[in-house]
Amino acid sequence: MAVTAPTPATTRPSTAASRTGVVAVTATLVLLVGALAIIDITQGTAHAGAAEVFKALTGQADSADTSVLISSRLPRMTAGLLVGAALGVAGAALQAVSRNVLASPDTLAVNAGSYLTLGLVATAGISLPQLASSGVAFIGALAAAAVVLGLSGLGAGTVRLVLAGTALTLGLTAITDGLLLLFPLETDGLRHWNQGSIAQYGFDGVLQMAPLVVIGLVGLLLVAHRVDALALGDDAARGLGVPVRSTRITVVVLGALLSAAAVTLAGPIGFVGLCAPALVRPLGRRIRPFTKARARLPLAGLVGAGLVLGSDVLLRALVPSDTAVAVPTGVVTSLVGAVFLVVMAARLKDTAGSEAPDRLRIRSRTVFLATTAVLVAVLVAVAVAGVLLGDSKLLLGDVVNWAQGRATQSISFVLDTRVPRVLAALLAGAALALAGTLVQAVSRNPLAEPTLLGISGGAGLGAVILVTTVPLASSWGLAGAAFAGAAVAAVLVFGLSARDGFQQNRLVLVGMGVATATTALINLLIVLTDPFNATKALTWLSGSTYGRTLPDVVPIAAVLVVGLAVAITRRTQLDLVSLDEDTPRLLGIGLSRGRLGWLVLSVLLTASAIAAAGMIAFVGLVAPHAARALVGRRHVRVLPVSVLLGAVLVCSADLLGRTVIAPAQIGAGLVSALIGTPYFLYLLVRSRR
Amino acid sequence: MKRLLITAAVATAAALTLTSCGTTEPAADSKKKTSEAITLTDGTGEQVKLDGPAKKVVATEWNVVENMISLGVDPVGVADVKGYQTWDTVVPLKNDPKDVGTRGEPSMDSIASLSPDLILATTDLPAAAIKQMREIAPVLTVEPADAADPIGQMTKTLDLVAKATGTTEQADKLKAQFDAKVADGKKALEKAGLGGAEYAFADGYIVSNQVQIRPFTSGSLIGGVNEKLGLKNAWKVKGDKKYGLGSTDVEGLTKLGDKVHFAHIGNKDDKTSTPFTGVLNKNSVWKSLPFVKAGNVHQLPDGIWMFGGTASMEAYVDAVVKELTK
Repeated sequence: MAVTAPTPATTRPSTAASRTGVVAVTATLVLLVGALAIIDITQGTAHAGAAEVFKALTGQADSADTSVLISSRLPRMTAGLLVGAALGVAGAALQAVSRNVLASPDTLAVNAGSYLTLGLVATAGISLPQLASSGVAFIGALAAAAVVLGLSGLGAGTVRLVLAGTALTLGLTAITDGLLLLFPLETDGLRHWNQGSIAQYGFDGVLQMAPLVVIGLVGLLLVAHRVDALALGDDAARGLGVPVRSTRITVVVLGALLSAAAVTLAGPIGFVGLCAPALVRPLGRRIRPFTKARARLPLAGLVGAGLVLGSDVLLRALVPSDTAVAVPTGVVTSLVGAVFLVVMAARLKDTAGSEAPDRLRIRSRTVFLATTAVLVAVLVAVAVAGVLLGDSKLLLGDVVNWAQGRATQSISFVLDTRVPRVLAALLAGAALALAGTLVQAVSRNPLAEPTLLGISGGAGLGAVILVTTVPLASSWGLAGAAFAGAAVAAVLVFGLSARDGFQQNRLVLVGMGVATATTALINLLIVLTDPFNATKALTWLSGSTYGRTLPDVVPIAAVLVVGLAVAITRRTQLDLVSLDEDTPRLLGIGLSRGRLGWLVLSVLLTASAIAAAGMIAFVGLVAPHAARALVGRRHVRVLPVSVLLGAVLVCSADLLGRTVIAPAQIGAGLVSALIGTPYFLYLLVRSRR
Repeated sequence: MKRLLITAAVATAAALTLTSCGTTEPAADSKKKTSEAITLTDGTGEQVKLDGPAKKVVATEWNVVENMISLGVDPVGVADVKGYQTWDTVVPLKNDPKDVGTRGEPSMDSIASLSPDLILATTDLPAAAIKQMREIAPVLTVEPADAADPIGQMTKTLDLVAKATGTTEQADKLKAQFDAKVADGKKALEKAGLGGAEYAFADGYIVSNQVQIRPFTSGSLIGGVNEKLGLKNAWKVKGDKKYGLGSTDVEGLTKLGDKVHFAHIGNKDDKTSTPFTGVLNKNSVWKSLPFVKAGNVHQLPDGIWMFGGTASMEAYVDAVVKELTK
């Protein structure tokens, strides 16, 4: 997985030529960023355009224009530069020390950690000075990074790292969103759904954060040669006399510092840390000096600054300036970054084949039977509890009366609204877990799952477009729209990454790009069309079974029955598909058509689940993993266990969300990430060797 | 060990089943009610039939809560009671209604357990949720706001609530009071030489180092009242179709012109909602604005709900007149 290892070129370019290359590339980028910066300060809600800005810069403008420039435009521009540079450098450094193209402040939960600590401080009603809050953010960022790196084992399998990071990100983001819901700004609704923005109301923030960014950057440059040694592998680095461990820790701390500064200044701006280094990487192959960290880190910083500023310029150029205020920069960087990432990843020459399958102990049949029995019992218990508990508590006799149609009015109302919700949660959990199992088997990639691959996002986007245009859509219509969206996303992701078999990293990178873009688009749609509708934002961004009726549950029930039947009858094919490229071929089994069938099935399952219960992340990722850890790799065992786990997880999440803060409620998607994260991290710890 | 696990699981399930037997309420017997019926057409064009004036009413949005209390009917259930008590102190709750959850996702269980004879909801709720509420009791769905005719929408909602609760006389009184208050306010402003004065109302909040400002355009309820007071709305931004709210930031205030009177409402219980009295005092754009230099910035008292009913708007008129004629 040594992405940074230079490919030996057949004709070595002379050092002189490559030096010109370095100068040319750097100069071009500096010019580009400079141009973007200048355009950025001429944009805004005030009248001050290019002419006034020029006058103000030369000191001949009136005081109003000058003050607009000094306390609004310039701070925004500088914040964009700082945030972009900090995230780009942090991403490049983290990728270098983890030898992992997927490492970034986003995927290592660093951003989520710092944002959560800031959110905690804010909801506790403490208003801290800027520097203190960046300290708080730094603690959160470090803690998150420490957990992720500790869990995945430093420099161990890349997949584990991103798995742990993604899981933790989902969990932490869920907590932050939960806080937003519990302590809402009555005037604001949920417009800032975890999206940062670089607009500033003065230079204070920028001035206090700039030193931190400089410290981080200089620190990283000082250890740059050690970072280069690490790229060769731990043993080689040790052979060169580089202290591997302390280098890694230093770089992670500095990366966390940079990310924390960026988050304090502008909130979480997604994707820059993943995308900027990815854009710099191909340059390293063409121009040798860029393979060195000392040159690559600043370059990634430049690209990051360009991305953030470019997104800001784009937003203000396309959207009327007053509307642009309401659209967080993070949404646009996500979109712009996603496009870049998808294009890059699709052209990525990925040397990483499929990861070796996790070594799992072969479990005995009794273990499987015991696990299944326990899960069935738990599922029954959770379903019963789900029906009985909630904002008002019932007893089983009430349910019996209701089933016989003899219940009093109030009880039958409660059950009429509650039973569909319990069913929607159960079925959605089961369907997502099944979809995750199928996708992971077919792509032989433990990170592949509906949410990370953008299929969920596509489904959500399809549903939101329908809800926005046709407010009274039917259940089947919603499921259909979700399926259309999911299908488009799936075709994009698998189409772009199917060249020479599904390359592991390429699939996940393209998937992440599409996933982030769809979430950003959902955000954008809601902000622009229905900004004060918190319920809508909630359902489509964090999964909620609110307002579900029995007809809504019909599509998902039908799809799930079909999916389970197909999966169980053709389980051996699943086993074969998940092995490797060659074995089935040797056995003379053609798999490409089978693969396509499985993918279509998982897209159907995902779309119907999302139409029934909103966007629920996490389940499709975690349930199959947990199932494999519990009962081994054979699909005849993994399928039932995974489906049961998914159903239990989402159903208990829905139950908790409806009872914990009753009569108010938290979405099932948030709670399932809350419950699922600790369990998943525990599994990761347990399976470390 | 395995056996133990299975036994434990089965035992737990059995225990759960046993403990949750019995009923919380006896089985129902059918009963009939007869009295004078009311038929109404609500904001969604639905026909709503009531057996008689509603007595036990649940409201999921604060504007209808305020309307009810002004009409002398105390709601039995209110969404987000604490929020209401924070943001609408003009018309305080007289009773102790049950909290039925958030305004975005009111709890069906809570509403059903109150056995109301009417539910007042707004079209901001998902259609599916309203359909479920109809199972519980008749639901009057009102448009929360309408930027095409903000004051008309306010009185329309008031009339609808009044008809449903049999308090139309009181509603007529409220409307007359409101009109009188606005007329008096207009006179007072004219006397002070403020007829046709340029005026801008906004609220704002602080989100990670930035101040977002929500201009209340002429489509907002406050904007509608301002025009009736003979004030000229100075905002040039576009508002949304329902609430007539736009969005801008500090530098956007530079477009407001020199003679503008700027007014704002925040809440001391929500620290992020008070940028105009807090962080902006150190901001050079804010300080350089002509209306700030001239001292034409007016903080109106907390607790006037900007999206409320006649009582909130009367309080608003009083506040504006008092502030501008100081």
